[in-house]
This record gives sequence, C-alpha cells and structure tokens, in this order.
Amino acid sequence: MTDQLPGDRESASDAAPPLEAWEVFRQEKEGDPMRHGGSVMAPDAVLAVHYAREMYGRRQESVRLWVVRRADVHDLSDPDLLQPPLDRSFKKPGGYVMRDKLAAARKQEGTAKPSGGRRRGAPPPTSGGRSQKSTGAT
Amino acid sequence: MTTIRATLAAGLDPSTRAALDELLLSMADDEFVIGFSDSEWTGIAPLLEEDVAMSSLAQDELGHAAALYTLLAEVRADGRDADAIAYDRQPDEYRHARLLDHGRGDWAMTIARRYLYDTADGARLEGLVASSFSPLRELVDKIRREERYHVMHATTWLERLAARDGEPRERLLAALEELAPDAATVFAPLAGGERLVESGVLSESMAGLEARWRATITPLFVHLGLPMPQVAVHPDRGRTDHREPFRWLWNEFTSVRRSDPVATW
Repeated sequence: MTDQLPGDRESASDAAPPLEAWEVFRQEKEGDPMRHGGSVMAPDAVLAVHYAREMYGRRQESVRLWVVRRADVHDLSDPDLLQPPLDRSFKKPGGYVMRDKLAAARKQEGTAKPSGGRRRGAPPPTSGGRSQKSTGAT
Repeated sequence: MTTIRATLAAGLDPSTRAALDELLLSMADDEFVIGFSDSEWTGIAPLLEEDVAMSSLAQDELGHAAALYTLLAEVRADGRDADAIAYDRQPDEYRHARLLDHGRGDWAMTIARRYLYDTADGARLEGLVASSFSPLRELVDKIRREERYHVMHATTWLERLAARDGEPRERLLAALEELAPDAATVFAPLAGGERLVESGVLSESMAGLEARWRATITPLFVHLGLPMPQVAVHPDRGRTDHREPFRWLWNEFTSVRRSDPVATW
C-alpha cells in the first residue's frame, strides 16, 4: 500500500479491469514462518493488499502479510516428479525401511521380537529403523 | 460513579465545557452517520472482498462513534449513557455535517463522500493531537491510526474511478458535483468554537483546519483533473436542516431502540 500519487491516467477504456486471484501469506507473530492464509480476488496489487488486510489482518491476527499474484507462482504437481513409484525410502534421513525385512528374518529364525521392550527412562533403541512409520515401501 | 475523565471535564470552565460538548457531539454524530450509511453496502458491494472491506470500515466508524459518545456522556455526567445520546434524539437534534446527509447513492457517490469526509476528518483529528483535554487527546491518538487506513482505501478507489474514462469517471464527477455545496461542512463553525482554541482543546479555528484540508487534497484533485470542492454556501447551517435521506436513515437505525426503549440488551 502506498500513499504516493498514482501514475498517469490509464488509456481511455470502459472495460473494467479483470479480477485476478492473489495468494495471501501471513505471519502470526514476529519470528514465525509465513504461512499460506488463503486468497483474494482483486483487479490490481494495491487493492489486493487492501483486501488481504481486511480478510487476514483486521482482527489483529497478523503482523505481516505477503500478497502474491497467483499467476506468478510456479506450480509443480507432476506425480512422476513428486511421487515416484519405486522405493525411494533410502533417500530419507532414516535410511532403508528395515521393519519388514527384520520381521521376515526373525520368522525364518523362529525367534520372537526381543521381549520386555525398553524400560521407562532407558534410551531409545538405536537400530536402523527409526523414522519408518511414514510411508510403507516395497 | 465518577470517572477520572468526568473529573477532568468537571474542572473545565463552563464555556469551554459547553464548546467541548458541541465538538464531541459533532464528531460522534459524523462517525455514527457515515458508519450507518456505509453499512448499507453489506451484502451488495461490487465484489465480495470489497463487501468485507466496506463493512469493516463502517464498523470502525461506529466504534469511533461509540467511544466519542461514551466520552461525551462522561463530560455531561447527567446520567444518560452513550446509547441514550446516540439513539434517543429526533432527527433535527443530530449535529453531523450535511455532507453525510446524502443518501447512499451508487458506488461512486459512496467513494466521493468517504474521500471528502475521511480527509476532512483527518484534518480535524490533526487539530486535536495536542489537545489540552487529555481524554480526547488519548482517544484521538487511537482513532487516527485506524483513520489512516480509511483514507488509503478511499484514495485508492477515487484514483481508479477518476482514471477510467467513461462511466466510472462520469459517475464520480456527478457525485462530486452533488456533494460540492456540502463538501466543506465538516468545518462548519461550532457554537463556542473560539473557546476551544483559547483553551487549547483544538489547535486552531475550523477555518484554519479547512485551509489545511484543502492544501492536503489539492495535489490529488489537480493530478486527477477533478473539480475542487467549493466553499460551503451556508456554513451556519452546515450541521442542521438535515435532508430527507437522513430522516429515512434515522428511522432505520433507531427502529430497534424505539421498538422497546426500556429493554436491557
């Protein structure tokens, strides 16, 4: 938003400027990340900021807003690029998914899962399979 | 119940207190009437976002009016509260500027009226930032921070309507022409106005504030090629003789209150 004077008068035209979608990001308090709040429709950036202020800031719920023309956002949603079909769990910080392989090995050996579990206060097990709840993989 | 603000008001000499009463009533009525007028756009504004924005501005103005009526009730200390002052009067007892007497009209009319009023109100608030009556000074400090956005919003729309030849500009020019004779009525002299200046409640006369207002809006009006508002034709009637559209609005905004004057809400 600006208190400055506008540019020269636009070319004469009766046609109303088309409405565009603008994405609004807001920061709830200083130091927080900017999070997507929603979107507004507006004919230009100045009004988009006005409307963002009314929709996402008038109840003092934001300390900063970012308003971005939706057309300026580069979209990537191709599943071949983002959700490849093969097991890529080795790319995760936890490494390979070991749970299923361990279970198969135990079954073959006829040994049960180590009993007793870990005692209260004991350190967590350090085996390779820590963060493997996320995606099932094969 | 005596508040600090009431005690401060009681300490003023009677002529200053009477003039302060006039000032607070005129300011509160201005905010009250434009707030109700603009709330008529709720549900029918040009687009959803503008609907929310205009309704929010209207609520701000009603909030300012409530704060000013509350302060006035403490200054008067006659047992009547803010609601009684706001609602329990006949149309001719309201002291808002005649600029706000025009009906809602079209969007251009609403924007023209908002721009003229918000900038004039801004000049008046400037005259109160160093007020010797501290309760008003403190309230003005808060109100000004919200009014700053109101001026930005009205300016943004005024620029867009003026810059687009054809219907938008024609409607804006028609609205400014209709409002022109009343544009400066926010600065209509108040009874006891000179006491306000002598006592330091207000920094300078209404005429002086009007000159500042004109200096503020001239660059934009020249830039957009819009006719400057003329000098009020009847400044002595700037806040009286209210027109028919206000009488209709009064009927609306008092209807619930009048339906049961003694109800507790």
